[in-house]
Parts: sequence; structure tokens; C-alpha cells
Amino acid sequence: MTHQMHAYHMVNPSPWPLTGALSALLITSGLMMWFHSNSIFLLVLGLITNILTMFQWWRDIIREGTFQGHHTPIVQKGLRYGMILFIISEVLFFTGFFWAFYHSSLVPTTELGGYWPPAGIKPLNPLEVPLLNTAVLLASGVSVTWAHHSILEKDRINAIQALIVTISLGLYFTLLQIMEYYESPFTIADSVYGSTFFMATGFHGFHVIIGSSFLFICLMRQLKFHFTSNHHFGFEAAAWYWHFVDVVWLFLYVSIYWWGS
Amino acid sequence: MYYKFSGFTQKLVGAWASDAYNPQGLRPVVSREAPPIIFATPPKFPSATPAYDYAGKNHVPELQRFFQKPDGLPVHLKRGLPDQMLYRTTMALTLGGTLYCLVALYMAAQPRNK
Repeated sequence: MTHQMHAYHMVNPSPWPLTGALSALLITSGLMMWFHSNSIFLLVLGLITNILTMFQWWRDIIREGTFQGHHTPIVQKGLRYGMILFIISEVLFFTGFFWAFYHSSLVPTTELGGYWPPAGIKPLNPLEVPLLNTAVLLASGVSVTWAHHSILEKDRINAIQALIVTISLGLYFTLLQIMEYYESPFTIADSVYGSTFFMATGFHGFHVIIGSSFLFICLMRQLKFHFTSNHHFGFEAAAWYWHFVDVVWLFLYVSIYWWGS
Repeated sequence: MYYKFSGFTQKLVGAWASDAYNPQGLRPVVSREAPPIIFATPPKFPSATPAYDYAGKNHVPELQRFFQKPDGLPVHLKRGLPDQMLYRTTMALTLGGTLYCLVALYMAAQPRNK
């Protein structure tokens, strides 16, 4: 029997990249069918296959790392690089929306009245729910750090409690934003103000939901004893992502809610 | 007044009596269950349970043994039947959906007769 002479992880052949790529095809063409042919079937099929792929792919990673021991320190280093590069790509994604906002708001056109916020737009008061949202996310940043220290100190109960607090704060933020969207006096169709506001805050909210889901998976894994005090990269990746989501919100709050009002 | 060491602030902070009776960092050696009842015919106990048991037992060691069995199965099929069912469902939906998508795109590309 041959053994590998290096510490890297040669993964078993896996079908999930193929199903993931095809599910992306189904989602994009499904969107097209929904917009132009009044049929939601392909889109729903795409979303289902996407969720199935994510579930099985990440389940396999947990099997490979926690149960089969493939995540050596070198492999873990690679995973760290990967997560950092992914978050950087997400930063660049949001940079686009912030660029669009500043492009339109620094030099307001005559169609808008020559000033920002544009004529007829009544922006949300930054000192009301948006300020509460800021406090909620900052507090969740504290609680996720508490969770990390609890894991490092082998404190199982505190780690579980801290994760529950973090996830609850994330859900609270999401509910507050849903309420704000419902009550908002302006819509996405209301000039470039509405477009930039809802594209930036909308994608941010989507990322909050992703981050909360990631933390929820970490809670499940913590309950099942997957994390040890010196090896818990899955949790660290979730915590990094959550801090990123928090920082994006701070930029949103200062730029769009506060300066832009 | 009781005190405990807060890992977060690195200082002593006030605590409830429960923390004094269950000090952090000191894991109880004995099981927290009541002393064993003596039966005429002693019941069978499961193999050595860990002393500190919060919300479930640690199944990771047995899962590690299970997933490292040298049966040649790839990791996505290692559990056997449930894995296979889920894989087949995913693949069927994906490939079926792709064919449907290609047909729909072909039809959408046909010119509309005025």
C-alpha cells in the first residue's frame, strides 16, 4: 500500500463541484425564465440543487477534517489563506456598491435637484433603528469574541451560550431590517437613491443571513464536540466572516445612513 | 460574596454560589448522577461515560473510527445507503434540470412568428 510523502490533503474524487456548477446554471437560467417566461420551476430547482450541493460538500469537509484527520497544520494554513482571500473578494464586491453610491451622491445630477438626498426623498433617521442595528452588530462582535475565548479555554457551556447570543443578535438585526424595509417611505425604484440604498443594504442583509447560518452550524458542531481548544478553524472562519459583515455595516451606516441623509 | 476569574476581562468578578460549587477549570472527577442503585440483578451500563456531560455525549471518537474504516469508499458515500440516496437524488435533479434548461433555452432562442 502506498503512502503519501507530503502533508497536503489529496481529496477523494467528489461530484459536488459538478452539481454546484450545474446548479449555478439552473439558478441563472431559472432567473431568466422567471423574468421573461413567467415560470419559476427552473429557479426553484436551481436553488434546491444548490442547497443540496452546499450541504453535502461542507458535510464531506467536516468528515475529512474532524473524523478522518486530514486537516494537518499545513492544510489548515491553506484553509486560512482560502477564507481570507474569499473575504477579500467579498470586500471588493461591496466596494462596487459603495463606488456607485459615492459616484451618484458626491455629484448629484440636475435630475435629482442638484443635491443629495435627491428631491422628494425622505431618508431614514440614522439615530433611530439604524443606530440600534449598529449597536446590535457591535454587541454580536463582542459575543463572538467571547465564544472564541471560551473555546480556547475549554469552557463548553460558555462557548455554547456565547454562540447562542451571537446568533440571536444576528437574527434580531435581520428582523429589524425587514421591518425597516417594510416601513420605508422610499423604494428601490425611487431614483438612484433607492437603487444604491437597497442594493447595498440588501446584499449586506443577505450576508448577515449567511453569517448567521454559518454561526448556527458552528453551534451545532460545538454541541457535538467537534471543536477542540487548539483546533477549531471552522469557528474561526465563521467569526472572521461575521466581523467582516459587521465592518461592512459600519461603512454602510456612516456612508449611506448618516452622511447620505 | 463569591468570585470567579473572568476569562474575558482577566480579572476576578462577582459570581453566584453555583460557580463556587462548580468552579471553572475544575472538572468533577466523579459522575454527577446519583449514587448507583444496587439491584438484585445489576443492569448493564454503557462503557465508561465522560464525567462532565453537557447536552449530549461525545460521539467524535466513534465517528472517527467509523469514517476511517479502510473500505475504499469515497468520503461522500462513506455512510452507505443514506449517502447514496442523497447523492443520487442530487445528481438526478441536477442533470434532469440541466436537460430541461437546455431545452428551455433552445425554445427561447426560436424566433417568435409575428
